[in-house]
Amino acid sequence: MRLTTKQLTLCGVLTTLALALSVMENQIPLGLAIPIPGIKLGLANIVTVFALYALGPGQALLILLARCVLGAVFAGNMNAMLFSLLGGFSAMAVMIGLSRLRRLSVYGVSVGGAAAHNCGQVAAAVLTLGNGAPLYYLPVLLVVSLFTGALTGLVASCLFRALSHTDLMKG
Amino acid sequence: MCLPRTRPVGTAMRRSPELRPTGWDALVVLAVILLAAGCALAVWGRGGGTEALTAVVSVDGAEADRIPLDGRAGERVYSGNGYTLTVEFGPEGVRVREADCPTQDCVHTGTITRSGQSIVCLPGRIIVQLEGGTADNEAPDIVIG
Amino acid sequence: MRRLMALVAALAVLAGLTGCGMEPADPDTAQESIQVIAMDTVMIFKIYGEKSTHAAYAAEDEVRRLEALLSRTDAGSQVSALNDAGGQPVTVDGEVLRLLNAAGLYSEVTGGAFDISIAPVVSAWGFTEDAYRVPGQTELDELLTHVGMEHVHAETADSAWLDEGTRIDLGGIAKGYVTDRIAEILEENGVPRATVSLGGNVLAWGDRPDGTPWLVGIQDPARPDMADGFAGYLSLKDAFAVTSGGYQRYFEENGKRYHHIIDPATGYPADSGLTSVTVVADCDREGNGGLPGQGTMCDALSTALFVMGEEKALEFWRTSGYDFDLVLVTADGRVVVTEGIADVFAPDEASGYSYETVS
Repeated sequence: MRLTTKQLTLCGVLTTLALALSVMENQIPLGLAIPIPGIKLGLANIVTVFALYALGPGQALLILLARCVLGAVFAGNMNAMLFSLLGGFSAMAVMIGLSRLRRLSVYGVSVGGAAAHNCGQVAAAVLTLGNGAPLYYLPVLLVVSLFTGALTGLVASCLFRALSHTDLMKG
Repeated sequence: MCLPRTRPVGTAMRRSPELRPTGWDALVVLAVILLAAGCALAVWGRGGGTEALTAVVSVDGAEADRIPLDGRAGERVYSGNGYTLTVEFGPEGVRVREADCPTQDCVHTGTITRSGQSIVCLPGRIIVQLEGGTADNEAPDIVIG
Repeated sequence: MRRLMALVAALAVLAGLTGCGMEPADPDTAQESIQVIAMDTVMIFKIYGEKSTHAAYAAEDEVRRLEALLSRTDAGSQVSALNDAGGQPVTVDGEVLRLLNAAGLYSEVTGGAFDISIAPVVSAWGFTEDAYRVPGQTELDELLTHVGMEHVHAETADSAWLDEGTRIDLGGIAKGYVTDRIAEILEENGVPRATVSLGGNVLAWGDRPDGTPWLVGIQDPARPDMADGFAGYLSLKDAFAVTSGGYQRYFEENGKRYHHIIDPATGYPADSGLTSVTVVADCDREGNGGLPGQGTMCDALSTALFVMGEEKALEFWRTSGYDFDLVLVTADGRVVVTEGIADVFAPDEASGYSYETVS
């Protein structure tokens, strides 16, 4: 895959945006409700959804990888990388699959992605803690993912509407 | 060196996604709810514990055995410092059924059933401790006396 | 694309580098639990935080060091050297001297109810060697002439001596001092939370990972062997608690029960109407600079107040000027809690005790 300057720039902008969202969601005290260190809502999935449709799976994956690695560097926390990698890639895999189903809207894809994101995060927590206790929170997190997924879908659909007249959506 | 190509190799046009929720999205939501319910049943259904209660037996400071209390009952014999304990494992807990130590404290302790509880045989330097299981906020973290 | 991969790889290496040394040990999850069998008891250390492992093993080393220094049954200890010196001065560590002086202080303020020189009498009852017997009155009278802190001399800077015939056992404060020292080790290692149990001596350091205080169950003296038998519960944060009770070690002869807490006034097991005394005091995180502190105080007072009985114990609580609180369990089925910890004490409904708070 070769990237045009425009694509590369877009990838950079989206990575930055995803990182900003990651930083933002760190401010949300999810830990109060679900005391698993490292668990996040997955707002950065907004970027993944957008990139998936606008740029295709390849570039979306690149953005995801850069976001996870850079996010961990910024946080100085390698555990965080496992959380975001497992969460991000689970979400990505499910969303790539769902986006091929033409009848699903961006909402359905986002909800599926959010659910997968949380499953991946819990898996990361189980791996780092070496203990099955985080599974206890999975049902709660799955319900939460309905809302984060809907929110992600809403933001993404607003984005698509706003950008539909531009040529961003074209290669 | 990094001259942009005039024509991108990637797909030129992405298909625009459906931007309004469709009835099919409800299926995804339903699937997630079902998954959540399934997990809830699996995880919370059996008393909330996610990890089986495990009996850890240590002899003279070294871990000798680690037995998950997963329903099967059984017995094992441990020796330390010249004393022998017969420890009975069951789905509900652990007890020392028989010991040849002078004090019999370990036998009198009875069955321990909760994470954090332990049976100690001081003469034999054998400790049976329960780990894992559900954290119980009502149970003491430390016993004094 | 290749360049992008190279960039990602470089970033990953960078991340690996920054990650080193910053490896997050989340204080809520990093945890080290160790068991140490020492000082005739099972000690359980459950230590949290980044340096939990180091702190746990440093605590174990400290326990071993103090056991070797203070044990009465270890012939190489300084306490044994004092006991075997036949009235001659012995060069001892400043630490031992400070403990002897602390023992002297608690003996004085409790009117002799706490006394480290009761050791030969305890041995006569067979509690040192697990060879239980009821000594005769003449034997006890003879032994009691050597009991009393006036026979223990620790006034100089580097030596101490005991009068001929006097023997000491620091068992009544050693474990308390161990908890003082462990508190300092926890502080040095920045440990946010830990539970330290030395049987009858407990240190609740910080709070639970969920921010609530540690729950400490007080063993019901009437059901000493039962894992679930409690006389009540204390919610403690940064506190020492020490329980003394006749149920902890005893033997029976001719239908009569004899326990191991000997009243220095009579030479007989204390018969004060109490079945257990729990002394609770705050643990000052600043530490004591290696000096016997609140943990040592709790240990000495729990023994002394058990010997003194309910009324005198409560009187001591009101007037002594020492900062501590009490949970007394009486032989007639009551649990008496002093005002200062009434709000952190919870009764055990299944125990059958009647509960009262005193001020």
